[in-house]
Amino acid sequence: MKITRRDLLLAGAAISASSVVCGPSALAAGPELKLGVVGVLSGPAAQWGLALKGAAEFAAAEANRDGLVKIDGAPCQVSVVAIDSKYTAEGAAAAANTLAGQGVKFIIGPIGSPELTGLKPIAKRNSMLVMGNGYAKDALGPQWPLVFHVGPGPSGWADPIIKIAKQKFGIKSVVLVAPNDQGGTDIASVDADAYKKNGIAATEEYYQRGTTNFAPIVTRIMNAKPEAVDLASSPPGDAGIMVKQLRQAGFEGPIGRLGGPGYGEISRVAGGDPVLKDFYWYEPVLVDEKVQLIADEYKKLFGTERPENNLFFQWVSGTRMVLKAIAKAGTITDTEKVAQALRALPVDDPNVGSGHWIGKEFFGINHELSFPFGVGLVTDGKLQPIVPVEAATGK
Amino acid sequence: MEGIVATGLIGISLGAQYALLALGFTLIFGILGVVNFAHGGFYVLGGYLAYSAVTYLGLPYALAVIAAALGTTALGYLFERFVLDHVIDDHLATLMLTLGLYLMMSSGLLVIFGPQSPAFSFPLTGVLRGHGFYVPIENLVVLAVCLVGILSIYALIYYTDFGRALRALADDRSVATAQGLRPKLLFPTAFALATGLAGLTGALVTPILSLAPHVGDPVLATSFLIVILGGLGSIGGATVAAFLVGMVEAFSAVYLGGSKGALALFVLVLIMLVVRPSGLFGHRVRGA
Repeated sequence: MKITRRDLLLAGAAISASSVVCGPSALAAGPELKLGVVGVLSGPAAQWGLALKGAAEFAAAEANRDGLVKIDGAPCQVSVVAIDSKYTAEGAAAAANTLAGQGVKFIIGPIGSPELTGLKPIAKRNSMLVMGNGYAKDALGPQWPLVFHVGPGPSGWADPIIKIAKQKFGIKSVVLVAPNDQGGTDIASVDADAYKKNGIAATEEYYQRGTTNFAPIVTRIMNAKPEAVDLASSPPGDAGIMVKQLRQAGFEGPIGRLGGPGYGEISRVAGGDPVLKDFYWYEPVLVDEKVQLIADEYKKLFGTERPENNLFFQWVSGTRMVLKAIAKAGTITDTEKVAQALRALPVDDPNVGSGHWIGKEFFGINHELSFPFGVGLVTDGKLQPIVPVEAATGK
Repeated sequence: MEGIVATGLIGISLGAQYALLALGFTLIFGILGVVNFAHGGFYVLGGYLAYSAVTYLGLPYALAVIAAALGTTALGYLFERFVLDHVIDDHLATLMLTLGLYLMMSSGLLVIFGPQSPAFSFPLTGVLRGHGFYVPIENLVVLAVCLVGILSIYALIYYTDFGRALRALADDRSVATAQGLRPKLLFPTAFALATGLAGLTGALVTPILSLAPHVGDPVLATSFLIVILGGLGSIGGATVAAFLVGMVEAFSAVYLGGSKGALALFVLVLIMLVVRPSGLFGHRVRGA
């Protein structure tokens, strides 16, 4: 049979079309599923983004090794494309556009509220499913049916932590300090409401992001004579300086950080646990023996230690849930079908434990994964074991 | 009254840190006509050199600070001599080169040391307390170094042959060169002096605040603001503006709050530039 130029062109077009749907490796093995990772990979919050990236890469490697994602019976090759959002709305929007251009339909991340705000419209326009974080008050909602939260925001965990802190330290008044952008105000104000509901007088103080010396803010806080200070979502580097300067100014009360993990860096910058003195914080995942297995597995797969920040474990469980939903829906292109499958999945992870879908009361939609978490405590300058807390419910 | 004294002391501490930062920045502009966008990078590098000297070489902190200042001085000299000097009269090229150097430095530090702040504390941790005010001893050390730094730079620039030569080159390079002064030797030395100051400041201030690859960004912004306010190239202007900015920042943040305080500072700069575009002491930008 003579092969004409027309036959060659048709064959080429058919190959190109199949590559678009399944990715290049589809020619050799099964279809390729690209997970986009949008997170801050540089700057003061980079450890959060590195934890996210490491977690997505781990979940992808695990899925590939065990053939967890199968489409029409063929194991799907999961790969990760990570883009630095620089912790900005425009950075995250640009990253989402780039991923959309590459045909990526699933995004793990971003982390901060400004990023999520910038990313959501692009993701919605391109029917991308987002398993993100971001504690903004409008982070989720019925108008964003493909956007999910990897863990609860402060509306889920602030109340149980405050109850523990109140019992432990007998706090009656608190000043909350955070950066004066959405990443700060949306968390500090929700934390403040939770303090007030627990009978603790709360006032809010905001600072310009990029501030390096907090001595004036510390003086202002001292003038308010609070019994406790909560550093909310201040980045760990900022929080460490504030702790140190508060202690230099003579502040003796407990200091909280109801905004995320970062204890290690805060302690290093402040000058150690004796400077922290009495300190409490939200620990997204209680790292017990079962959770530690993820870290061991990571080392086996990648030959290095897992990223330091404990958000890593939360992102592992979130990414696993997305992959499970894709496998259940049996599609790597129909994100609405995957979202439907995700909503119907029980919140369960072999290492992190079992939980619930929450968010209906605060966001109007049950799109927040809620797993058991922990409360970190330093008392009298000594690090205490993490206090386990059941998965938040009802919000 | 106690509150005013306490806030004033914070303003002086902030001003001392800012003055040390701004001196090198304004020196480079005043003599070479180069806006050094790598200034924040030399500050961070100074911090990491001191941290490495203490942590990995086991040097005492004081020696580590000297090593950091010498290290950044050497790098500044080499950069000016072998890179910047070739395009010294092309303002866009120097801007791009210094910006590029800063990006290389911060990315390099990120790759080597990672994004997180290491444990790097100032060796003196005490606090002097009075009635209604307090002063951390580390801030007093920075203030003392700042005063010595300012006086040394003044003495060097106004009372030595080296300083006279630099001022002559800044005033009219062709005439100064015709008189036998050698820009190829003096410019790298002046640049090195300024980068050494930035490194010294980094080594002193990062253990008081925090050390991370990105902490040079706000340093550059603050130095720029102070130097513009004081008058580009003016050592006296930069010093006065640094303490003015420190005071405004302290009082506005304490009495108006963090957000309004930052706004107040920029409103002050805006008014100053409208009323006196050349800055507080900027009679003219530079002659050469």
